[in-house]
Amino acid sequence: MNMPRKTGGWRRVLGTLALAAGLTQLPWSGWALALRPDFVLVALLFWVLHRPERIGFGWAFCLGLLADFQDGAVFGQHAIAYAVAVYGVLFLRLRLLQFAPLQQAAQMFPILLAAQLTVLLVGWLAVRPPAGLAILLPVLASTALWFLIALWLRAWHGKGMRGAE
Amino acid sequence: MAVPGQLTFARRLGPAARLAIWLTIGVACVVLDVRYQAMEGLRSGLSMLLHPVREALRAPADVATEIADFFTRHRLLLHQRDALLAERARLALTANTALDLKRENEELRALLALQTRPEQQLVRAALLYQGHDWFSQKIVLDRGAAAGLRSGLPVIDAGGLMGQISQVYPGSSEVTLVTSPGQLTPVMIERTGQRGLVAGLGHGQLELRYMPSQTDVRVGDRLVTSGIDRVYPAALPVARVTRVSRPQAGPYLRIEGLPLAEIERSRAVLVLVARPKAAQP
Repeated sequence: MNMPRKTGGWRRVLGTLALAAGLTQLPWSGWALALRPDFVLVALLFWVLHRPERIGFGWAFCLGLLADFQDGAVFGQHAIAYAVAVYGVLFLRLRLLQFAPLQQAAQMFPILLAAQLTVLLVGWLAVRPPAGLAILLPVLASTALWFLIALWLRAWHGKGMRGAE
Repeated sequence: MAVPGQLTFARRLGPAARLAIWLTIGVACVVLDVRYQAMEGLRSGLSMLLHPVREALRAPADVATEIADFFTRHRLLLHQRDALLAERARLALTANTALDLKRENEELRALLALQTRPEQQLVRAALLYQGHDWFSQKIVLDRGAAAGLRSGLPVIDAGGLMGQISQVYPGSSEVTLVTSPGQLTPVMIERTGQRGLVAGLGHGQLELRYMPSQTDVRVGDRLVTSGIDRVYPAALPVARVTRVSRPQAGPYLRIEGLPLAEIERSRAVLVLVARPKAAQP
C-alpha cells in the first residue's frame, strides 16, 4: 500500500467526509459560491484512490444524493456524476498512484470534468438547459484542491505517495 | 477446489458492472423525482438532518460579520441614523395617509359589496443557505412549516419581490427566486397598467414576455405584481425594465429587466402569509 495502514482508519475516513460535507454547508455566496470546489467529491475520490476497499460506489451515491439536496437539484443528478467519477478513479487507480502531486492533479482534471459534465447532462435532460457554463468553474477549483491535498500528503508522509521506491 | 454450495468462480463484480448498477439506480431516482415527485420524503429527511448543521455553521459567519461591524466608523453610523430618522418621518406621514385611505377603501368596498382583501401577516426569516444556481436559483430560509409557512407564499425584501416558497420543511423552507429560469410572475407595467408575465432568465435577470410590438413600454418602467393570480398581493415591486428591443422575427418585444429586490445581498427577508379568509355567510 502507498499509505501507512493506520491513516486509513474508519474514524479518519468518516471524519474527512463529514468535514467536507460541513464545509459545503457554510453560507457561501457570490463568487465564493461560484468557485467553491466540490469538497465532498474531492474527499470521496481521495479515499477511493487510497482506500478503495472502504469507500466505493455506495458511498458515492449516498453523498451524491446529499449534494443534490443541497442545490435543490433533481435527486440522482450528483449521485450519477459521483458514481461516474468513482469509476474513473478505479479505472486509473494504479496509474494515478505513480505520479507526483502536479501530474496527479492534472490527471484528476478529466475525471472531475467528466463528473461535472454528467451533472450538466442529467440536469439538461431532466430539468432544462443550464444557465451558462459557470457550472464548469468548480472543476478548476476542485483540481487545485486536489493538488494541494496531494502536496500536503506527500509532505506529511514523506515519499508516501510514490510508494517504496 | 470446488466446494459444494459455493460458486467456482465467485468474485466481486468488476467496477464496470457496479457502475452500471448504480447508474441504473441513479436514473431511476431522477425519473422518480422528476416524473412522480416520489422523493419528497428523502428531501424532508435530509433537511432535518442538515438543519442543525447549517444553524451551527452560521455562527462563524455571524461572528465575522460582527467583528467587521464593530469596526464600522462612528461617522457612518451617525449618517445612517440621520437618514433613517428622515425616512421614518416620511414613512409616518405616508402611513397616516394610508390608514385614512384604507378606512375609506373599506367603506367604499362595503358599499359596493366587494370582497375584502385577505389580511396579510408578515413572517421574518433569514437566509440560511444558498445552493449553486446552475439549473434553478433557490435559497433556503431558516423558517418553515412550524412558523406557518406553506408552499406558494411570496417572499419579499425591502426592495421588492424576491420569489416564492417552493418547498417547506419543518424548520426551513426553500424559495425559488424570481430570476430562476422557469419561474413566472404575473405583473403589470406600473405606468400604463398593462398586464404581462415576467419569467426568470437566470444570471439575475428577468424578461417580460409576450408583449405585442406596439406596447407602450420604456426603459426604466417599473413592473409590479398585478394581483390577479391570487398568489401575490397587488403592487409588490418586481423589476425595472433595462432594455427594450424589437427582434426582426416574431411579433413580440424583447423586454429585459433587473429585479428590484437585492437578490444577491439580502439576508433578512419577509414572507407574506395570507390569513385564510373566514367563510362568508
